[in-house]
Amino acid sequence: MKRMFKTLAPLTLSVAIMAACGGEESGGETSGNEASGNSNNNADSGEQGDVVETGEAEQGVEASGDESVTLDMWIHQTGEDETDFYIKRIDEFNEANDDIYVNAEIIIDDGASSYSDSVNAALVAGNLPDILALDGPYVASFAEADIIASVEEYITDEDREDFVDSIIQQGTYNGELYSLGAMEASVPLYYNKDIFEEEGIEAPTSIEEAWTWDEFLEVAQQLTTENRYGLNLFMNYGVGEWLTFMGAPFVWSNNGELISEDGTTVDGYLNSPETVESLEFVKTLFEEEVVSLTPGEMQFEEGNAAMALGGPWIAVSAEDADFEWGMMPYPYKEVPKSPSGSMAYGITTLSEHPEEAYEVMAWMTNEESTIGLSEVTGMPPARHSAFEAMDHYDELPWSVIRDQVTETAHARPQTPAYPVLTDAFAQAFHAAALGEDVEEILNQQVDRVERELRRFQD
Amino acid sequence: MVTRKRYSLKTREGKEALTGYFFLLPALLLLGVFLLYPMGAAFYYSFTDFYILRPGEKNFIALENFQMILGDAEFRQAFRNTLYFTFLVVPIQIAVALGLALLVNKKLRLKVFFRTAYFSPVVMSLVVVSILWTFMYNPNEGLINEMLGLLGIPPQPFLTSPDQAMNSIIVMSVWQGAGFQMMIFLAGLQNIPDHLYEAADIDGANTFHKFLHVTLPGLKNISLFIFITITIAAFKLLVQPMIMTQGGPLGSTKSLVYHIYEVGFNYRDVGYASAMAVVFTVMVLTITIIQRILVKEERG
Repeated sequence: MKRMFKTLAPLTLSVAIMAACGGEESGGETSGNEASGNSNNNADSGEQGDVVETGEAEQGVEASGDESVTLDMWIHQTGEDETDFYIKRIDEFNEANDDIYVNAEIIIDDGASSYSDSVNAALVAGNLPDILALDGPYVASFAEADIIASVEEYITDEDREDFVDSIIQQGTYNGELYSLGAMEASVPLYYNKDIFEEEGIEAPTSIEEAWTWDEFLEVAQQLTTENRYGLNLFMNYGVGEWLTFMGAPFVWSNNGELISEDGTTVDGYLNSPETVESLEFVKTLFEEEVVSLTPGEMQFEEGNAAMALGGPWIAVSAEDADFEWGMMPYPYKEVPKSPSGSMAYGITTLSEHPEEAYEVMAWMTNEESTIGLSEVTGMPPARHSAFEAMDHYDELPWSVIRDQVTETAHARPQTPAYPVLTDAFAQAFHAAALGEDVEEILNQQVDRVERELRRFQD
Repeated sequence: MVTRKRYSLKTREGKEALTGYFFLLPALLLLGVFLLYPMGAAFYYSFTDFYILRPGEKNFIALENFQMILGDAEFRQAFRNTLYFTFLVVPIQIAVALGLALLVNKKLRLKVFFRTAYFSPVVMSLVVVSILWTFMYNPNEGLINEMLGLLGIPPQPFLTSPDQAMNSIIVMSVWQGAGFQMMIFLAGLQNIPDHLYEAADIDGANTFHKFLHVTLPGLKNISLFIFITITIAAFKLLVQPMIMTQGGPLGSTKSLVYHIYEVGFNYRDVGYASAMAVVFTVMVLTITIIQRILVKEERG
């Protein structure tokens, strides 16, 4: 999850380039299979002309007879512990179910585009598995293009209510549920307790006490010294998804939106006075020099920034810091809002066994999976029951993340134009950080997104 | 040997020719699958509205994509950025490569060490080099700004200022690439016969005159080869902005290839990306042909 945003991490990137090449190669392999007559065309693919199903399944199937259903599943690989956990859970599923065999394939996910490149290649070649992992904001694109199927008919009300709202919000397109995930994400405001004590500042501990923008700016200014920044926004992650993930709550908490509710236009939303005002606030943070445009990799962990708006992974990397630190809620303007969204699962429309596929999806997102995944990754779980079962979420600092996920989390927009919309917002956020005219930049970006939206309006 | 012979498989020559074609086959096959076929496909896609998520619905839309390029401000900006990069990188890199070649061609101690040192960036992965330079350019803790600090110069926003970012990438690209052309120049320098320099000495030429009238003319053909290859490589700028700046700040380092990549893979608009790739290919092809014509004239 951390790597989804850290596109500048050295190892990650070298993988990015290799994997980008890998994506093309897998396209080549496909044609190889086709040439050697290894294809097993299914009925659905006939409609799509040049679509060929390759024999991926053949490698994984044991001779267990005709009554067993084999399902292909794609999982993204980010961290080793996370991947090992997925494999363990799938093995357990296979043991517990005699009639379904899940053949999982691990696809590298470097945080940039390698995973979606692989998915795109498979999509064009007609090679998609029955179940695949996908990033929350892409649910709408895949649903709109009829690549993943609605799971509305399978989910029980009871189960739906156990998921936190933001996960349902993330998985819903046009009023129908398409996707479920086991993992949530959030961004608390980390703070250096030692520095806070020195300066005599009291940190809020609950959403009700969260700082407003004015209080936030004032403290950040007070904490900024000659050789220390008041705040770190991890601008070193680059101009990408992080800026939308971390930055959009500034807009939402000011009663702004990135796109209209029906998803047809961004004009009057992405460039609304509320959005402009929130990016003006971001601009102020940089103009007042309380935050750096080019922070070092470990600025907060090394004590060179007193506060940081960072992901749950910062709690992991700050474990060895030589100071005490805490978390407090995301600051707000009118209504408290916080970032949300993570990897989830979808069932492809090509799957011949959607019902069985849903069983796998339900297994991978059930209480046990949710708790286990949270334990190995440090990411918040996607279920209320998991929060209740995990004791450390009852105490500070983790209670801040629990409160945010269950009360203030806001999913990123559900629109098939998301790739362009998120880039537009990230560009505008970065331009604000550079001190540019926010309104002018936002208007330019609105034109871009409007052009993209027109593609989906016929 | 001017007249063409007809080969028969029964003769030895015929069998040899057949063997030759078999040896060619793997190369041709790879070229076909990984170069010619994708090129043909891109040309075809450029006339369609191919959207990655709907591979089954490619509609022929004639020249619509190409008309869109005309009104695309991002394409124009990427085009300007790419030209700016090329026009600066080509002369600077040639000058630096020639300078280095002259240096390491001298009879000095540790000659091999210096040659290796200047050449080593070439064998490093461009991705790794880009990441290293991103750290070096960092205003807060980067090596270069630390050094400027010792001279009393305030930290420079090398990669975060729209005015400096492309120039920073140019400096890094020259450093990374010049070693390769240095080796080619070096080979050229060693091909210039010593007696020409001796003759110049007898005529009383000084070092500068020798450089101007013996060295440079001796390197003419090699320079033109280097000129063409650097130009083509410069047009293909992609990795450095992708890793160091993501095309920013404010789009100031977005190159054409990067823009094409983003539109095709991130925004899924393969049709439009293909159209831009076709325009790009025609552009580079035209420039290469013009250069080739110049080369021929120089030789004649």
